[in-house]
Amino acid sequence: MKSKKHPKTSGLLFGAVLFQALTLQAGNVREELADSKFSLVHEAYENNNWELFVTSADGKSSANLTNTPDVNELYPQASPDGAKICFLVDSGMGRATVRSLWVMNSDGTSRKKVTDRARQQCWAPDSQTISFLPQEYPKFNVTDYYTSGISFYDLPSGKTREHVNTKTLHHLYNISYAPNGKWIVATVHAGMGHRHTNLLIEANGSKVINLGIGGCRPTFSPDGKHIAWGAGDHELAVVPIDIESDHPKIGEKIFQVFDKQNKIYHVDWSPDGRFLSFSRGPNGKGDITKPGTYEAACEIVGVHAKGWDIFAVKVARGGSVTIGHKPVYDWQPLTRNGYSNKESDWFLPPSK
Amino acid sequence: MSLQQFTSILGLLALGLVVGCGPVPSSPAKPQSITTDSGVPMIVIPAGSFQMGSDEHEADERPRHEVRLGTFLMDQFEVTHDLFVKAQLPNPSRWQDDSRKPVERVRWREAKLYCNERSLMEKLTPCYDETKPGWPCDFTANGYRLPTEAEWEYAARAGSSRLYSFGGVAKIKANSWFAENAGKRTHVVGTRRPNAWGLHDLYGNVSEWCQDVYDPDYYKSSPSHDPLGPAEGITDTKRVMKGGSWKASAAMCRASFRKGQRTGDTDACFFTDYCGFRCVRRVTAAEVESLLGKSPPEK
Repeated sequence: MKSKKHPKTSGLLFGAVLFQALTLQAGNVREELADSKFSLVHEAYENNNWELFVTSADGKSSANLTNTPDVNELYPQASPDGAKICFLVDSGMGRATVRSLWVMNSDGTSRKKVTDRARQQCWAPDSQTISFLPQEYPKFNVTDYYTSGISFYDLPSGKTREHVNTKTLHHLYNISYAPNGKWIVATVHAGMGHRHTNLLIEANGSKVINLGIGGCRPTFSPDGKHIAWGAGDHELAVVPIDIESDHPKIGEKIFQVFDKQNKIYHVDWSPDGRFLSFSRGPNGKGDITKPGTYEAACEIVGVHAKGWDIFAVKVARGGSVTIGHKPVYDWQPLTRNGYSNKESDWFLPPSK
Repeated sequence: MSLQQFTSILGLLALGLVVGCGPVPSSPAKPQSITTDSGVPMIVIPAGSFQMGSDEHEADERPRHEVRLGTFLMDQFEVTHDLFVKAQLPNPSRWQDDSRKPVERVRWREAKLYCNERSLMEKLTPCYDETKPGWPCDFTANGYRLPTEAEWEYAARAGSSRLYSFGGVAKIKANSWFAENAGKRTHVVGTRRPNAWGLHDLYGNVSEWCQDVYDPDYYKSSPSHDPLGPAEGITDTKRVMKGGSWKASAAMCRASFRKGQRTGDTDACFFTDYCGFRCVRRVTAAEVESLLGKSPPEK
């Protein structure tokens, strides 16, 4: 769950839950997920096409949300209130591909294009604003940091505005809003004077703070008190952060997920902050014989990733979890078919 | 040998017949430079033969053996930030303080993508087939590609059989940016002396990707005419890097030095900050004549 705070979960309540969760021993994650009302929306490659799927938190049910055999949908992000999903659509082929930003209801109805040549979007806490990264140049490139600036799309008015500091924001990817709306956390590669790092960017100002951590794809916890990110190809980590400060700093790692063999990427928080989901699969550079895919590292959006699945782990032990090793009570696969299941995002579907 | 490599070799042999593969000039003619349609200066590398490798140094440089090559064009300088931006590619470089510096942290696939972009800009046929796994190279296409390691070493030697084309190690500081004078960073291309054929920075600044799969034993069985490297592997094999860099020792800057480098093609981020490249293109004698006619006269 990037950048959002579930409306039914107050910050105080969440803080208490997380504190308790981090200090107590885990129960069985399978049982706890089975009781959850949350779902995850994620991309998957099935029948030679990218589709968005909604999978239950325990992985027992999964449904094709988009069902569009001729349209490649990717990188879904659910709004904090669970009502909407914004996503990407790739049209065309090769360097002529146009990657567009779209939004729809979370039940898959009322699709609407927002803009072309955009990527790496996330929701603001108000569930009304989609922040996205414009493509660096008109010609398509699958590279994740192929971006320049930050823009904001206002859902009610349909208007787009640029970040006040947009001209200096270069080569960002994987943006995620802090629940207080004050900060956006992102990874930067070969841009803004940085080799590679993770940044806090003032959402409505010009302040930029280097968090000084390597790795990529950071995301705020729903209470804004922690950041989870991929600390390496085989490690996810959680650190505390004080986003109310004018100069937020991060603390030491309080939780880590390891996988010695497979890559683990795309970490996301459950709306109650108790679980993390992530994508897991073997190293590779895709299978370019599959229509609508590109050749690059498997974790990159649009790259076919055979054998990749969505997993969930409980943020409960204050230590570390190693995927693939017993005991297995603190982690669980949510998908099992290996159909390039990536980029999961938790949400609570609106009650019907 | 794959069918593709076999057909490529046939194509190159045919090309060799067209342009002529006479012995290497004992005293190389004055280098001829051209400027491509997209404004990139290149040097016409004459057809000829040379002694590739070394019997006195690393095991993978043995045996020293004769290689014969056809005429080709090679970039006078390493590909710079400016050129990457012109091709609308995201610049991955660590040092971004001067756009005239060579790009680095470039994955092998990104270097190939640049070659194709430049081919398209100049309405040439791209060498790399982006629709097939691994982007196989069509050596008979008239577009840009990475040099084979034989082409690279031939151009670097520029008719010389010494460790460096400019002579001994005592002259290296004037001719290349390497660990002892680079100050732990890259430098604007062309700010050290060129070799005898007018090519800059082959002995330093950034190391350069070649087309070939890296096999330490390849020289023991490589063909003498236009060697294209070992057969393509199915997995993410290492590729040959040639030339010194800002962080290389003098020994690593030798013309015959070779290194097997992981391509970075399966890495989300590639942090190897000495990996750069330059392009080559095969040309016929008629094309050379035409290109020289189009380029401004040399001063």
